[in-house]
Amino acid sequence: MEINVNGKNMTVTSDGNTPLLWVLRDELGMVGTKYGCGKGLCGACTVHLDGEPTRSCSITVNDIQKGKVVTIEGMNTKVSQAVQSAWVNNHVPQCGYCQSGQVMSACSLLASTPKPSDKQICDAMSGNICRCGTYARIKTAIHEASTKIS
Amino acid sequence: MNDMEKNSALNRRDFLVSGLTGLAGLVVAFHLPVGAQKAFMAEAATPLAASAVPNAFIHIAPDNTITMMINKLEMGQGVNTSLAQLIAEELECDWKMIRSVSAPVAPVYNHTVFQTQMTGGSSALSSSWQQHRKIGAAMREMLKTAAANRWKVPLSEVTAKNGHVLHKTKGSLSYGELATEAGALKLPQDPPLKNAKDFKVIGHSMKRVDAAEKSNGKAIFGMDVRIPGMIYACVARPDMDGQKLDSFDEKAAKKIPGVIDVVKFRDNHIAVLAKNTFAAIEGKDALKAKWKDNQYSTASTESIYKELKEATHKKSVVAKTIGDADAGMKNASKQLEAVYEFPYLAHAPMESMNCTVNYDGEKAEIWSGHQMPTIDQGVAAGILGLKPEEVKVNTVYAGGSFGRRASKASDYVVIACHLAKEIKRPLKMVFSREDDMHGGYYRPMNVHRVELGFDDKKNLLAWRHYIAGHSVIAGSVFEAMMVKNGLESTVTEGVSDTHYNIKNFHCEQTRVYSPLTTLWWRSVGHTHTAYVMETMIDEVAVETKTDPMTLREQLLKDSPRHLQVLKILKGMTGWGKNKAPKGRAWGLAVHESFNTVVGQVVEVSIEENIPRVHKVWAAVHCGTVVNPEGAKTQVESSIAYGLGAFLYQKIDLKDGKIVQTNFDDYEVLKIENMPEVKVEFVKTDEPPTGLGEPGLPPIAPAVANALFRLDGKRVRSLPYLKGKTA
Repeated sequence: MEINVNGKNMTVTSDGNTPLLWVLRDELGMVGTKYGCGKGLCGACTVHLDGEPTRSCSITVNDIQKGKVVTIEGMNTKVSQAVQSAWVNNHVPQCGYCQSGQVMSACSLLASTPKPSDKQICDAMSGNICRCGTYARIKTAIHEASTKIS
Repeated sequence: MNDMEKNSALNRRDFLVSGLTGLAGLVVAFHLPVGAQKAFMAEAATPLAASAVPNAFIHIAPDNTITMMINKLEMGQGVNTSLAQLIAEELECDWKMIRSVSAPVAPVYNHTVFQTQMTGGSSALSSSWQQHRKIGAAMREMLKTAAANRWKVPLSEVTAKNGHVLHKTKGSLSYGELATEAGALKLPQDPPLKNAKDFKVIGHSMKRVDAAEKSNGKAIFGMDVRIPGMIYACVARPDMDGQKLDSFDEKAAKKIPGVIDVVKFRDNHIAVLAKNTFAAIEGKDALKAKWKDNQYSTASTESIYKELKEATHKKSVVAKTIGDADAGMKNASKQLEAVYEFPYLAHAPMESMNCTVNYDGEKAEIWSGHQMPTIDQGVAAGILGLKPEEVKVNTVYAGGSFGRRASKASDYVVIACHLAKEIKRPLKMVFSREDDMHGGYYRPMNVHRVELGFDDKKNLLAWRHYIAGHSVIAGSVFEAMMVKNGLESTVTEGVSDTHYNIKNFHCEQTRVYSPLTTLWWRSVGHTHTAYVMETMIDEVAVETKTDPMTLREQLLKDSPRHLQVLKILKGMTGWGKNKAPKGRAWGLAVHESFNTVVGQVVEVSIEENIPRVHKVWAAVHCGTVVNPEGAKTQVESSIAYGLGAFLYQKIDLKDGKIVQTNFDDYEVLKIENMPEVKVEFVKTDEPPTGLGEPGLPPIAPAVANALFRLDGKRVRSLPYLKGKTA
């Protein structure tokens, strides 16, 4: 079967019921997308599917069909650059394990809402758990990225 | 000099032109003498001087890039940046040219106090403060000498700056150009160290060296390691150590697409080997493995609390006695008793435990976020029948730890190595989130019973404190060192060594066997002792009608660092002048742990029966602050971690089985509940003390004290919210 990841069609041989997360990580070797809970509870596995933030642990490769998948490895937009540079600037990552997912969710938010309020940030980022508690800095960094893209 | 490492003077050198890590150019390694404290691990008993050490802290490449070999695990606390800062300050190099990599295992990288390679106890900076600066200074002096020799000018005429050695007429040579010549020189025994006023790197918020790769998905964690021919393994294990295997459905597991094989090993473990992690997890679940009942199969959270509560009434080991608390209680005109309950807690770092092993029957290589790599290496070697040096240990980024990876039994390394020995194929052993939550290592359950006595003028007359709790270190190699006369400091720390000046004080401890394996959890005993001390002190304030800040100042009048912290808090909040807005209340707590004093004032409201923490003001005395922004992140992190535990977290036992499974029934703090945090540090040139943990102990009692101001209820049983709230 073929799936489109980061603009490229890729042939995958995993069972069709395998969640996208594991096809990305174990078959395609794209390990930037992380496993945290396997049940859509933590957001570490967030990718973009046709532009929408999607938990890759909870969608099978069969379900994707012709959808376009973008992973953290494929992020290269004005928004993603602004987000990643704000992440560095504001000392956001600590252990860093959840941050691929955080960045993917933040980029989705800013793509649809370039000037988010604190409330909009919380609503958009609530599904992304961080055990290091980097939340306050994530908020600050999203605001900073927001000013850079406008 | 810092107490922690008074014996870390440089006294020997060892040069290698190319190291194990394949780095070309100059590699300098320093042998450090065995510290004042005796080696506490068998692995550390090898005399350091006898070891061949193909290792180093600094590598300078011909292009002037500088690689720092970091001998602590980067698990979020920022050691790859802060330890590099200590060396860079003295080395006079260009910060932009620095990168940090995790060191392999070698005695040269041992902790300066514990004499084994390890990270923990909030000690990375305090134990490296002299050592790392001296390493940087020695290297700087050698580079200067090499340049002076080449130019044939006196050493006094050359200076080091920004990765170059300079001379007023000869010009400039880069460190990269001088590295090989410098490597042939004698090691300066006592290189001069800078005064704090001249620091350009220490005390500055250098950006984290790992921030970019942790924002673009390129950072490699244990979970991300891939080696040729690797298969994936997920392992069914019992909730409790030693439970005998009853049944499992091998056929059902083998029906899962992608499953390669099912392997029973270690008597009661069953591994499902698969082509990908998902199939391994699905296969493991399909096993529906069951284990036989053991003597704890009727154990429940309730039965354990009952046992612990009873123990607080029995004769136990005296941890501390000041004055005569019994007489004080007898003479008291008012007595007050409080009983506190603290549940088991899982660490639940974002990256569940895993270990990758390549073992071909003759040699082995392992990968993980190793927090105690010397022990992991020794344990792996023992299982595989190899010498420790035949096991190459690769330490990669850890997706959080909070104590979990300082596994006293190297548990997940052990499982992976046993399996590797069985199948002799390259493998990655992964705990699913559910596996990580079950059969793991937990913050022990504890019960505190406190009796206070007041005289007729409402002055505090006596304090009797009984702690019954599960041991953190029973059955481990640490027990012999850390348990003295039946007392385990990791259970009573924060109570028996309280700074409060209490005239008649008595503390006893009972260690009770835990059916679940236990471990240190961010701030260890202080997770519960600070809660009891700080909420009880608040009760004393209410009882004696004293302002909580004033009472603490009175009882801490001989503890200058605590007073400095309280003073900063008063300045930050306007305590005594300002008040919380309507519908909100302030709560205060101050506590010392890991030689650091942290005070916090929180602003709290209750919304739909759920506490909402709006603001936290934190004042910190942690000696020299090496990286101010980094230090703030550690305080913020500790607050988030501790607040989540206070509000939501417990691991329950029911009929001998663990109840919680994943982030839906073991909730953690989310972004909408993260308070605004302001942090200020006491300004001082004293050596750094710990900061990975000390921000945690005050948060829960500060919130509880604020909640009492709102609803008049004391929170004695944690967590605050007993059920699912999301």
